Amino acid sequence: MRRSPLIPFAPLSPRLRACLGWGSFLLPLMVWCAVSYVPVLWHPMVRIQDRGDITYLQPGQLIDRHTLARENARIEAIGGTPATGKRSNPIFLPAPHEVGTALYRAFKTPPRRANEPWFHESIGHSIRIIFTGFVWSSIIGLPLGILCGVYGSVSRLTEPVVDFIRYMPAPAFGALAVAILGIHDAPKVAIIFIGTFFQQILVVANTTRKMDPSLIEAAQTLGAKPRHLLFKVVLPGIASDLYNDMRILLGWAWTYLVVAEYIGASSGITFFINQQARYRNYDNVFAAILIIGIIGFVTDRILDDLRLAVFPWKSEGKKPLLFRFLVRNPPPPAGDAA
Amino acid sequence: MTAPLIIDPDAYRRQSPEVAARFEKLKQRPIILEVDKLRKEFDSAHGSHVAIEEISFQVRRREFVCVLGPSGCGKSTLIRILAGLDFPTGGDVRLDGKTVRGPGSDRGMVFQGYTLFPWLTVKQNVMFGLKVGGKPGHLAESEAREWIALVGLSKFENHYPHQLSGGMKQRVAIARALANNPRILLMDEPFGALDAQTRAQMQSYLMQIWRQIDVTILFITHDLDEAVYLADRILVLGANPGRVMELIENPVPQPRTPEQFQSEPFQALRARLDALIHPPSLHKEDKLPLTRMTVVGDDVI
Repeated sequence: MRRSPLIPFAPLSPRLRACLGWGSFLLPLMVWCAVSYVPVLWHPMVRIQDRGDITYLQPGQLIDRHTLARENARIEAIGGTPATGKRSNPIFLPAPHEVGTALYRAFKTPPRRANEPWFHESIGHSIRIIFTGFVWSSIIGLPLGILCGVYGSVSRLTEPVVDFIRYMPAPAFGALAVAILGIHDAPKVAIIFIGTFFQQILVVANTTRKMDPSLIEAAQTLGAKPRHLLFKVVLPGIASDLYNDMRILLGWAWTYLVVAEYIGASSGITFFINQQARYRNYDNVFAAILIIGIIGFVTDRILDDLRLAVFPWKSEGKKPLLFRFLVRNPPPPAGDAA
Repeated sequence: MTAPLIIDPDAYRRQSPEVAARFEKLKQRPIILEVDKLRKEFDSAHGSHVAIEEISFQVRRREFVCVLGPSGCGKSTLIRILAGLDFPTGGDVRLDGKTVRGPGSDRGMVFQGYTLFPWLTVKQNVMFGLKVGGKPGHLAESEAREWIALVGLSKFENHYPHQLSGGMKQRVAIARALANNPRILLMDEPFGALDAQTRAQMQSYLMQIWRQIDVTILFITHDLDEAVYLADRILVLGANPGRVMELIENPVPQPRTPEQFQSEPFQALRARLDALIHPPSLHKEDKLPLTRMTVVGDDVI
């Protein structure tokens, strides 16, 4: 007998979990491969190989399948040779292997002009913008959010207006940021900051409020004074949840990256994407978009792994992979009853 | 457990000479905790609600007092006021003659919900009170180890609370409260969340600890057997609003053993508590207004 998988919140077996996890990546990849490599599925264009008697076509040119059929019919009607070619996808949908090579090639290709950055320099620049904005936001937002969560007075004085401001889209401040901070990195950092900061205060305050109040009372009966309650009970008590919040907020900061980089003088990965689109190297465009995803995803996985090492009491029995060396003498499993 | 018929309702007042002598000696002891005309009202949207009308009693040094009462009698409010986590509307709580004005390490507290700090190991939990009290780390650590050994958990000192069973968690909580050397240990239904077997074991542990350590215990429970098994004296509270019904001297001789459950003084006291907490008039309310919904002849056998 097995529990019906349709029962809400039914647990998954570890094997099924792993399979589905890989599947969630493989499925879109397979669809992409199918559309790219199986001509009957889509392939609305034809890449000309022999132009026959249609003089305005060039070998290698892409032309809509139906237009070509019409032109060929017209040429054949007057006794000419029709053009031939291979069915292919439009230029904005490169095949997986093309993007794969582009991903590798992008790092190897020197910039077209001497004053333009290499691909890795563009990535480095983007990461620096995100990091700076996020750190500045956290330096102010974390303590303020915690104080909001802990003290009702701070919360009432702060949260209503923050709630108001967070509905203003961060990019709306772009023009203002350029006017005040110039056209280089500062306004971009400011956009990341604005996009993160106001959400951060509310998220951190909420997490802080979820702290179990009976632990505060227990600490008081053990002689803890208000400063102990804050630094030895509240902070360690919410640390693991805050860590998760920060992971999610960092993800939000990434989503503001491209908008931020459009502001002032275009820079970083966004600049690279725009340049490549201008040269119609769409495989490079895909490669750059993928790189943003990969960096974000890998960072998140690493931070999640670090979480298991730093907060062992919240790990639910899971062991870190990369940061195993941080776990000090893991205690033997509990055996005794009572 | 069914109580045998007790003919004399006052049987619980009869004390053997040894028990009487023991209470005489107890009365020589200095008073540690004095609760004087305590009153507590809560303000709510529907006006104020009286949780405790008036409670007065005294606890002497190294005494074990149980507070027993039905839900709504304000026993949890009472212990929270004693701990300094709530404040009375009227009256006074004095510890060693000094009025209590907030929480402090002179009153240890053990909660029903364990309230161990999940991010600290067993040892670090027990060290918490010592360290916020300003004891240097190595001293706190060696003291904590002794307390952990006392509750028999030395093997688990580096475990996190989530790795322990309920009974073990509550032993850590007791060690943590005792490590501060409190004048009185306040226990708010500490074994209420445990299964019957573990509870019996914990009661026995607590009696052993109480004998070994210089500590006075005020223990809240709604379990009659637990109160009779543990207490020197039992403070029975009535509900709505909370008030003292009777302060009873327990006629069961010390030291207590599970065999005494069947003894006459035990059953006499238990019958009295039962009568106080479940007065006969209340039994009528236990009847549901049910109509018969089964086929005739299909009775429960």
